Amino acid sequence: MTHQLLATILGIDSVRQVVQAIVSGVVTGAGYGLIGAALALILGVTGRFHFAIGSTYMVTAYLAAVAADIWGLPLIPALLVGLAIGTVFGLLIEALVYHPLASRAGEGALLPVFVGSLGIVIITENVVRLIWGNDTRNLGGFPQHTYNIGNVTFTLLDVTLVVVAIVVLGGLSLILARTILGEQIRAVRGNPLMAQAVGVNVRRIFYVVFALGSIVAGIAALFAGMKFAVEPAMGNEPVFYAFVVAFVAGTRRSPIFVGLVGIGIGLLESISTIWVSENVSALTVFGLLFVALAVRSGPAGLKQLSGALSSVNRQVGRVQRTGGS
Amino acid sequence: MPVFWIDVINQVLIFAVLAMSLNLLLGYAGQVSVAHAAFAAIGGYAASYLAIKNGVSVPLGFLIGMAGAGLVGLLISLPALLLAEEYVILLTLSVQTIVLVVITSIGALGGLYGLTGLPVVTIFGKELLRPEDWLWPLVIVNLIVFGILSWVGESPFGRILRGIRDDQLATQSLGKDVWVKKVIVFGLTSAVAGLGGALLAYYNGVSSPGLYEFSQSILIVTMVVVGGRGNLLGSVLGAAVVIGAGPFFQKVIDLSPETSSLWRLIAFGVLLIGVLALRPEGLLPEQASLPALLRRLRRRPPVAGTPPLVPAGGATAAQPPPADAPAIVNVEDVRKSFGGIHAVDGLSFELKQGHVTGLIGPNGAGKTTVFNLLTGALTPDDGKVELRDQDITGWPIDRVARSGMVRSFQDVRIFPNLTVLDNVRMAVPGQRGENLRDLFLMPWAVVGGQRKAIAAGREKLEYVGLAEKEGVLAGSLPFGEQKLLALARILAAEADVLLLDEPASGIDAEWVDRMVAIIRNLSREGMTVCIVEHNLHVVERLADHIYFMDGGKIVAAGPMEALVKEEHLVEAYFGQP
Repeated sequence: MTHQLLATILGIDSVRQVVQAIVSGVVTGAGYGLIGAALALILGVTGRFHFAIGSTYMVTAYLAAVAADIWGLPLIPALLVGLAIGTVFGLLIEALVYHPLASRAGEGALLPVFVGSLGIVIITENVVRLIWGNDTRNLGGFPQHTYNIGNVTFTLLDVTLVVVAIVVLGGLSLILARTILGEQIRAVRGNPLMAQAVGVNVRRIFYVVFALGSIVAGIAALFAGMKFAVEPAMGNEPVFYAFVVAFVAGTRRSPIFVGLVGIGIGLLESISTIWVSENVSALTVFGLLFVALAVRSGPAGLKQLSGALSSVNRQVGRVQRTGGS
Repeated sequence: MPVFWIDVINQVLIFAVLAMSLNLLLGYAGQVSVAHAAFAAIGGYAASYLAIKNGVSVPLGFLIGMAGAGLVGLLISLPALLLAEEYVILLTLSVQTIVLVVITSIGALGGLYGLTGLPVVTIFGKELLRPEDWLWPLVIVNLIVFGILSWVGESPFGRILRGIRDDQLATQSLGKDVWVKKVIVFGLTSAVAGLGGALLAYYNGVSSPGLYEFSQSILIVTMVVVGGRGNLLGSVLGAAVVIGAGPFFQKVIDLSPETSSLWRLIAFGVLLIGVLALRPEGLLPEQASLPALLRRLRRRPPVAGTPPLVPAGGATAAQPPPADAPAIVNVEDVRKSFGGIHAVDGLSFELKQGHVTGLIGPNGAGKTTVFNLLTGALTPDDGKVELRDQDITGWPIDRVARSGMVRSFQDVRIFPNLTVLDNVRMAVPGQRGENLRDLFLMPWAVVGGQRKAIAAGREKLEYVGLAEKEGVLAGSLPFGEQKLLALARILAAEADVLLLDEPASGIDAEWVDRMVAIIRNLSREGMTVCIVEHNLHVVERLADHIYFMDGGKIVAAGPMEALVKEEHLVEAYFGQP
């Protein structure tokens, strides 16, 4: 009885509904975690505002589908072809767009790189439409198997995604923490000038990071493609989640931590759908981003805020004084 | 002209309103917002809803829409104040998403379809039905918006915005309050975006989410960047390029209907990257703005002859300062630690009026930290800083500067994208037109004030011998002249206590002589000067009194002749005697 009452108060229909929301939250969140960790790595090390990571995402999944559909490759080789093309694409973005724009702009490189990445998003999406059409494609062939435990359902693909996400992000964390390459990446992330001074090839590290990030984001894209479908605009939404995850987690944290934050955000979004409709649940996520950003500045920010308020007061006082005279 | 092109021009004019307002925020104040379409949405939806559901008249609906957008802009600016550039992008990104989701999910606003059945706009009894009816009203709106935004952008207020963009700390250090300016510019530009949004809704006869989605915000950012940041006319051109690209490719280049829209978008993306790569400052750069060109036309001819090495008033230079001059600045037992490191550890000293006080010591002795503590860039953990017997410990940077103590920076921190004269006249304190009240209620006072500030700025430039370079971009000056400009700039701030961080380091001997002469002269005119300087010859020539710092403490004090006799000091400074 009391359970019933509590459930009614909380607006929950059944325990099953909650468990199902948790399961799907973890699965979606694993995808967010992958692309978020990819973006966090690129942002943290290279400082490029890589909005076009959504294009890398789409190119990887779309080309895998093209490889399977049109070129007739079996699933696994098709996925690998997609990943390889997506990685090359990511490297080309850095080599042909970001690097030239950033070196011309010098210190104020953020805006040119950001706007340039928007240009890449527009070009890539429409080139794909021009060559292969507007339709969605299936990336089929993964064994269809649905588990049903106490009326909570999930698929073999879901389980695989979570396992792969843990392995990939764990592996990436180990690379960063334990290898010489990882040490160099962390050195560049900490202080590129210093890293250069002690003999690290910073340009090379940028490319390594773009390659790693493109692969990790591409893996998320392949799973999204296999679960749903692929289409030329499929990267536009995940990129928002990637930014939310990367900034809530912080761009200097280990990939496995970023992955956990991704799962947390997936959970938050999916559990909130118990109470609100699906399109409003995006509000929860961006509301969280807003709060995270507002809180981010910490005590130093509060000091500035109080300074701002006191100067507002002074101005108001001045207005009142002059108004009275 | 065919209706097709009139329609395109109308759309360009509406987006020009949005792009010009974003330019004031992004191009002048350096705040990158990707939520401009969301502010337009607030204006558009408010104006439409009030007219349809409450029968509010169209002009009143526009005004309320603008006020609503402006208010939301003010609120958003508060967290944005505290964030670094990339976080401001993300913050506005989340605002854009939140506003659109909220609008779409409110049933009364028509969901995905939006609000239809907007009343027809009438102006002087004429109904605006066809595109050609809209053309002239939109041209007039554009002229008004251009006029107002230019007035704000080229005013003392606008110069402070550009100062914030180029170097926020330097702007504060000249006594300018940057926080309120940022809040106001967010609010003002959001309100104008609300106007653009209302125009968009009424022109299309519908207020729907598609008009205001994220991609529209991106287009507006693109218009500003392609057109030229800091140049309002550039934004109109940017709007024409971005909006006109589609119809141009559609009409002028013959493509099959199925693929033409794709080619058009691809060409647009290539154009975007091409402009960024070949002309990063935009099609119409800041220096080519209409007001800047007008100024260049009006500029007075340069003063003939080379500037005097010793500035005017050099005759008094021979008199030494009185030894019993009053202490203007008193520092008592000030401490500051970073983590476990005591950067400044119980420091006490005074700066006397009309004296040049030198602060010397090995690297890491804490000299620059002392300047930061005196000017409010850092707050002491303990101890007291007094300026003319007033306790200023913990005051914000701009307030200390307005109270008469300003500093220069070792790395000059001039505003590279402003002209030499603009750098200096920006610093003139208490100008009319640093706030919107003056700008809109007392425009004539602003004009007079500008004239005075220009005169004051030129006077300081003549003093340091840079008068001939007033129209040059500060970033293009050689380093020695940048140091002189930085000095002129703090002189224009009309402080009587000058803290100079390495005024003579990294510059040629010729400039060193001029710098020494100017500083000497300033102190003889009664200014209180404190210099941190590595070049001991400069310190020897200038300083009446020297404090020797080591490990965050003052270990010796006196005139140079006395200090050089103390062997352990010489050893600490030079390594070897």
